Amino acid sequence: MEAFEGFLDDGGIVEPDDAMPDAYREAVFRFIEMHANSELMGGLTERDWIPRTPGLRHKMATLAKTQDEIGHGHLLYMVAADLGVKTRTGMLEDLFAGRSRFHNVFHYRAKTWGDQVAIAFLVDAAALVSQQAVFKVCSYGPYRRILKRIIAEEGFHMRFGEERMLRIAEGTDVQRSMFQRSINDWWWPALQLFGPDSRPDDVLLRWHIKSERNEVLRDRWVQKFVPLLQGYGFAIPDPGLAFDEEEGHWVSGPIDWEPLEKTVQQAGPDSARRIGEAAANWADSQWVRDALDRVAALPDVA
Amino acid sequence: MTRSSSSTAGLADAVNKAVAGVDDPEYPGVSIVDLGLVERVDVTGNGRASIGLVPTFSGCPALDVIAADVRDAASAVTGVTSVDVHWLASPIWSSDRITARARKALADRFTVAVGNDDEAATCPRCGESTVEQSTFGPSRCRAIHRCSGCAEVVEVLRA
Repeated sequence: MEAFEGFLDDGGIVEPDDAMPDAYREAVFRFIEMHANSELMGGLTERDWIPRTPGLRHKMATLAKTQDEIGHGHLLYMVAADLGVKTRTGMLEDLFAGRSRFHNVFHYRAKTWGDQVAIAFLVDAAALVSQQAVFKVCSYGPYRRILKRIIAEEGFHMRFGEERMLRIAEGTDVQRSMFQRSINDWWWPALQLFGPDSRPDDVLLRWHIKSERNEVLRDRWVQKFVPLLQGYGFAIPDPGLAFDEEEGHWVSGPIDWEPLEKTVQQAGPDSARRIGEAAANWADSQWVRDALDRVAALPDVA
Repeated sequence: MTRSSSSTAGLADAVNKAVAGVDDPEYPGVSIVDLGLVERVDVTGNGRASIGLVPTFSGCPALDVIAADVRDAASAVTGVTSVDVHWLASPIWSSDRITARARKALADRFTVAVGNDDEAATCPRCGESTVEQSTFGPSRCRAIHRCSGCAEVVEVLRA
């Protein structure tokens, strides 16, 4: 392990066929599995909004974003399966049985278009900030290469998120108050996507699977979005939020981590419905997989 | 007369250069010209630029973003008085429009291969052939393949 850690400290990149300690393999696998699960659960939510997205242009964007996220999930499940800890089907079955994790934000329900905009704007940005921090160092080669493309595509989503936010911000009073309610509901889940402060012995940092501590990333996001939302006249739902004049720095109030803990236990406000619907989709599409298997088993007539 | 036409040619060159500076929104650093998205750049004597683009597929969500970036780039050229950017229904884009330079950038920087019915994709990492795993990946212009040599998961940009 010591030699392996020295290799990682020197910027070494691990490829699937390389020897690696079991603990490293397990940690990388868990990390990618959770990312893959989150892309899939996020894609399914996005899909629900295809018919409800206002305007053809943004409807096309929602459609494409759905394709994008399902595609990312597909790539990530392949890379995760290559680590040999679980098969792809095993990962999906665990997800639909509520046995494995996905990002906290997908344990909440998006009720209005304002919520969708808050997700595209605040949550996608939080995901991008944390993915960039992984990409910067990531010691596992295949994941790093896929992240590079995912980050470029998420950056492209952000342009749509910003445009949607601007439209609402410059909209009617009704639209603005709808968006304020969405900020109230999504500010804390988005902020908690980064997780609680990193432990000093966090192996993800030690093994260069990510480059920065959770609290540093969370802080970076706060510095960006507090002035942005306030600049458009929206309030941040954090009564303890303060501006440190000397440091020129926003400081969040105390964070209640219980809602995050609940999502980890699959007991968030919308966890049961989300997992149930995903599981039902999986069961309903069994005939497609069966048909594909039968086609694949046919003798080659060409 | 000669002077006017040579300055028009100079302006057309400047607009072409500006358009070539526009990157694909999903592949920063890869020019849309090298990806074969730019079919025509016409500039008239009075500085009117007309730019015809071809999409990789007509439902591509990046169309507006690309058109806006092209409009901005062309408008910034001194001497350009108006810019018209439009998406053409023909010719139809195919991956053979992608230049060698873009292929290299896609392979080296994004681990993305290029392929179509006549041109089998090869792995950007080891050069071996790839096998399709899914007809569509994160976008409808890309498939997901796996390398038959090093087993890398590869996205293939194709018509």
